[in-house]
Amino acid sequence: MSSRKLADGRAEMKNGTRMIRHWLGDIASLRWVEPAGVAVWCAGVLVFMLAPLVVTVGASFHGGSEYAVVVFPPENLSLQWYERIPGAHYQAFFLSIFLAALTALISCLLGVPAALGLVRGNLPGKQVISAIFRAPLQIPAVVIGVAFMQLFYAVGNQTGWYAVGTFWGLLIGHVFHATPYVIGTTTAVLQRFNANLEEAALIHGASPMRVFVRVTLPLIMPGVYAGGLYAFMMSFGDVPISMFLTSSSFLTYPIELFFGMENDFDPSILASSSLVIVFSLLFMLVVQKIVGLDVLLKSNNVN
Amino acid sequence: MNLNWRAMLVPSFVVSLLLMVASQYLFIKSSFYKNVGFGIVDKTFGFQNYKNLFLDSFYIDAIIETFMVSGLATVFTILMAYPVAYAIARMKPNRAMILLATIVVSTFITIVIKVFGLIIIFSADGWLNKILIFLGIISEPFTVIGNISGVIVGLIHFCLGFAVLLIYSVVQTIPKSYEEAAQIHGASRINVFLKVIIPITMPGIIIGAITIFNMCMGAFTSAALLGGGRVLTLPVLIQRAVIMEVNYPMAATLAALLLAFVMGINLLSIALLKRFRMTKAIVT
Repeated sequence: MSSRKLADGRAEMKNGTRMIRHWLGDIASLRWVEPAGVAVWCAGVLVFMLAPLVVTVGASFHGGSEYAVVVFPPENLSLQWYERIPGAHYQAFFLSIFLAALTALISCLLGVPAALGLVRGNLPGKQVISAIFRAPLQIPAVVIGVAFMQLFYAVGNQTGWYAVGTFWGLLIGHVFHATPYVIGTTTAVLQRFNANLEEAALIHGASPMRVFVRVTLPLIMPGVYAGGLYAFMMSFGDVPISMFLTSSSFLTYPIELFFGMENDFDPSILASSSLVIVFSLLFMLVVQKIVGLDVLLKSNNVN
Repeated sequence: MNLNWRAMLVPSFVVSLLLMVASQYLFIKSSFYKNVGFGIVDKTFGFQNYKNLFLDSFYIDAIIETFMVSGLATVFTILMAYPVAYAIARMKPNRAMILLATIVVSTFITIVIKVFGLIIIFSADGWLNKILIFLGIISEPFTVIGNISGVIVGLIHFCLGFAVLLIYSVVQTIPKSYEEAAQIHGASRINVFLKVIIPITMPGIIIGAITIFNMCMGAFTSAALLGGGRVLTLPVLIQRAVIMEVNYPMAATLAALLLAFVMGINLLSIALLKRFRMTKAIVT
C-alpha cells in the first residue's frame, strides 16, 4: 500500500519536475514570445477599436454646464444630455433601422437567387456575369451616391417623380451597394455544399421543390444570414451614399450626426450616440443568440 | 435537380445590370457637360471639365493626397488586422467568439460615432496627450483634426473590422499541419510565419488589401470630419462640388476619375495576382 503510494508520489514529482523543465525550456527557447506577442497585439487592436466607443459613452455623462466642452473622464456625472436629445435623432434612428432592415431583406431576395444561379446554373459567360454582380463592390461609395443622385434627377425630369430625398431613393442606393455582399457569402457557402444531401432527399422521394425548401435553403442559411448582416451593417452606418440621397427634412441617423457634428456641436449628440452604441450591443447579442455570429466566419468570402 | 437555376438568376441580374448601367452611364455622360452655374448644365459634349481638372494643381494635389491617405491606411489596417485574424483562426472557438463579437460590434457602429470618440481621445488637453507629453514621447499635443494622420486613423477605424474578417477567411483555409510540418523540419516560428504562412496567404492578403483600398478611396466621413477642410481627398471634393458649389458636371468628373483610378488599380492587382499565381505554379 504505502510503497505504491510512494511510487505514485515519486511519479507525480517526476511529472512535476518534467513540466517545470518543459516550461523552463519553453522560456529559454523563447517559444512564449509568439503567443505573448500575438496576445499583446490583439489586446492593442481591441483597445484601439473600442476606445472611441468607451470614451463617447463616458463623456456623455459629463455634468458640466458649458456647451461644446467634451470631457473624458466625465466630471459631475449627470444625465442632462440624455434629456436634451432632439426628437429628430430618434426619428432618424428609427428611419435608419427600418432602412437597414429592408435593405438586408431585399439584398437577400436579390442576392440568394443570383448566387444559386451563379453556382448551379452552369452558365455560359459565368465570369462576366459574376463580375457584373460584384461590380458595385469596386465602385467607391461616394461615386454610387453621386451616380444615383443624378439618375434620380434624370428619372424625375422624365417622369415627374423625384426619388432624391425619399425613402425609396435611399433604399435603391443601399440595396445596390449591399447585394454583392449577400451574393459573396451565399456563393461561398454554396461552393462548399455537399450535393449528396440533396440527392439523398431526392432518392427518398422528395420533390425538387421540397428538397430546395427543406434541404438546400436550410444548409445555405449561414451564408444568407452573414450576407444579410453585412447588408444591415453597410446600410446602418453609411454616410457617403446617403449623403447625396437624403433631403434636409429626411435624414438617416449617421447623416443627422454628421451634420450635427459639422455645424453646431452639442453634447446631446454624445448621449444619442451612446444610446446607439448600447442598441448595437443588444442587437449583436440577439443576433448571437438567434443565428450565432460565427456565420460571419463560416461564410466569409466577400471577394 | 430539375429546378431551373438559370431562371432564378435572371430577375436579380436584370435589376443589378439596369441599376448599374443607368446610374454609371448617366453620371459619366454628365461629366462631359458644361456647368453654367446655379445648378444649370449646358448639355454640349466636351472635355473641358477634364482639362480644367488636370491643369489645376489643386486637383492634382487632391488626387495624390487621396492615393497616399488610402494607401497608408490600407497598409496599417492590414498590418494591424493580420495577427488578429491569425489569432482568431487558431484560437479555441469560444475565445475566438469574444474577439469576433467585439470586432463586429465595433464595425457595426457608424464611423461618425467613432470619429467623435477619436476627437475626444486626441483633444489637445485630453488625458492621452497629457500622459504622452508627461512621458516626453511628444512635445506638442497630437490632435487628429485637420491633418493627414488624423484622417488615416479615422480610415483605419472604418476598415479594421472588415479587414479582420476578410483575412480570417484566408488564414482559416491553411491547415495547421503545414505549420507543424515546417516546424518538425526545424523551422523556427518566425521562419514558419515568414516563409510558410505569409506566402500561402499572400494572394488572399492582396485581395483583402484591394478591398480595403477601395473602401478607403470611397470613404468620405473620416476625411470630411477629421480633415477639417484641410485634407481634401477626392470624395470630399465630390461632396463639396455637389453641396456647396452645386456644380454637378465637376462632381461627375471627379467621381468618374475616382472610379477610373479604383478600377485601374483593381485590374492591375488582379493581373499581378495572376502572374503571382503562375510563377508559384511553375515553382511548385
